[in-house]
Amino acid sequence: MDPRKVIICRCENVTLADLEEAIEKGYRDLESLKRYLRIGMGPCQGMHCLLFTAKYLARRLGKSVEEVYLPRNRVPLNPVPARYFIRRDWREMTG
Amino acid sequence: MKKGLVIIGAGIIGVMTALNLVEKGYRDIVIVEKKYPGSGGSFRCATGIRASFTSLEHVELMKRSIQLWPLLSEKYNIPYARHGYVWLFTREEDLEMFRCIVDFHNKNGVPTRIVSPEEIAELVPTIKTDQLVGGVYDPLAGKASCFKALLNPLAYILRKGVKLVESTTVYKVLIESGRARGVLTDKGVIEADKVLVAAGYGSKKILRESIGVDLGLRNIPKHALITEGYQGVFKPLLIDWETSSYIVQVLHGGFLIGSSLPEEPDKPPRSRLKYPVKAVNVWIRYFPWLAYTNIMRYWTGYYVMTPDHHPLIGPLSTVENLYIATGFSGHGFMMSPAVGEVMANYILGEKPNVPLVEHLLPDRIIKGRLVKEIAVFG
Repeated sequence: MDPRKVIICRCENVTLADLEEAIEKGYRDLESLKRYLRIGMGPCQGMHCLLFTAKYLARRLGKSVEEVYLPRNRVPLNPVPARYFIRRDWREMTG
Repeated sequence: MKKGLVIIGAGIIGVMTALNLVEKGYRDIVIVEKKYPGSGGSFRCATGIRASFTSLEHVELMKRSIQLWPLLSEKYNIPYARHGYVWLFTREEDLEMFRCIVDFHNKNGVPTRIVSPEEIAELVPTIKTDQLVGGVYDPLAGKASCFKALLNPLAYILRKGVKLVESTTVYKVLIESGRARGVLTDKGVIEADKVLVAAGYGSKKILRESIGVDLGLRNIPKHALITEGYQGVFKPLLIDWETSSYIVQVLHGGFLIGSSLPEEPDKPPRSRLKYPVKAVNVWIRYFPWLAYTNIMRYWTGYYVMTPDHHPLIGPLSTVENLYIATGFSGHGFMMSPAVGEVMANYILGEKPNVPLVEHLLPDRIIKGRLVKEIAVFG
């Protein structure tokens, strides 16, 4: 399959070819790949792309998935509409 | 391992210093990083860049930085835009105070100006200006991608032969007869002729262990969140002076909101659930549509504050070949191009390219000669 047509991150539109190119350039851990390619930084928060990339990277570098550790997930795990936080008493609440 | 220079910390300061050294032909460098590159403040920052400070030291350093940002952007493919800053004032007395600050800026080559609510509405599409008495516009200010600003130069210097050692903690700088001679890490000793401590708040412990000097650094917890990415709405970074909060639509499209909550220094932040409440309520007053955006990520970080809110940059007078670059008080990312340049000057035994940074030598903390700056936001 053409790696330019394999989408590995749907939120940020990253292909397998992009991942290969980044690995070739020397980005070989998930934290750097995340910032360089933006995989895991879109609305899905890496639920699909990061696991795939971790597995791919481990196989590519001959390491275990644990060794190419997963970046920390940040809250909220799913995007939350800002309006849920509107409060009349926000000044008192936030000091 | 024996090297010319050990840099402690692969943050933006360590990387920019190494980049300047490599560009001057000095490549015998190893960067030792506790976690992974950028893992401290660099990748958590708001990415704003401005010269509109209230001390001449900051202004001169940042004017040089703003000359360098576009060059770096072009050379290393770093997204950067001179989109400006707008300070928003809801109280007459704040606007009055800023008239003097704008005078100070203008006298020193920073083209800020007072703007009316009508002008703010032109600079910032969709903003509601009914509570505003005015603002200050800084057209020289801007923003850049903190990820590419660190990762691209890093990839370049690694290709040129600089070594990076990750997941390695430095315990102390080894000193012999008044000279630095390497570092002790959890994986053994790295010998070197020179040592640069650019480890953010971690620098405090390293220097205490090494030479018993307290740099007076305090780690102040800060909060930030970002929404999903949207098409461009407004370009400048906005500061709400009354609540000390900022909002910026980063170049990738998300709205990044930063603010502070009452927190204890040197401790992990506690008020986590309150943060999105403050961020949203401060900014929906100006942008009602913000209520319909989705908050994607929320994180915390620290401002590494010095007693006078100015960085500690340069050699220590008491130990030869030991250099410090830390305590950027929330401004390390924006200053990093100019700081990398002057640190490379110091390390190569040259005069600093920005002469006024000699006021920022770390010795001043030990000797109690402080510099003044009031403008720290978020």
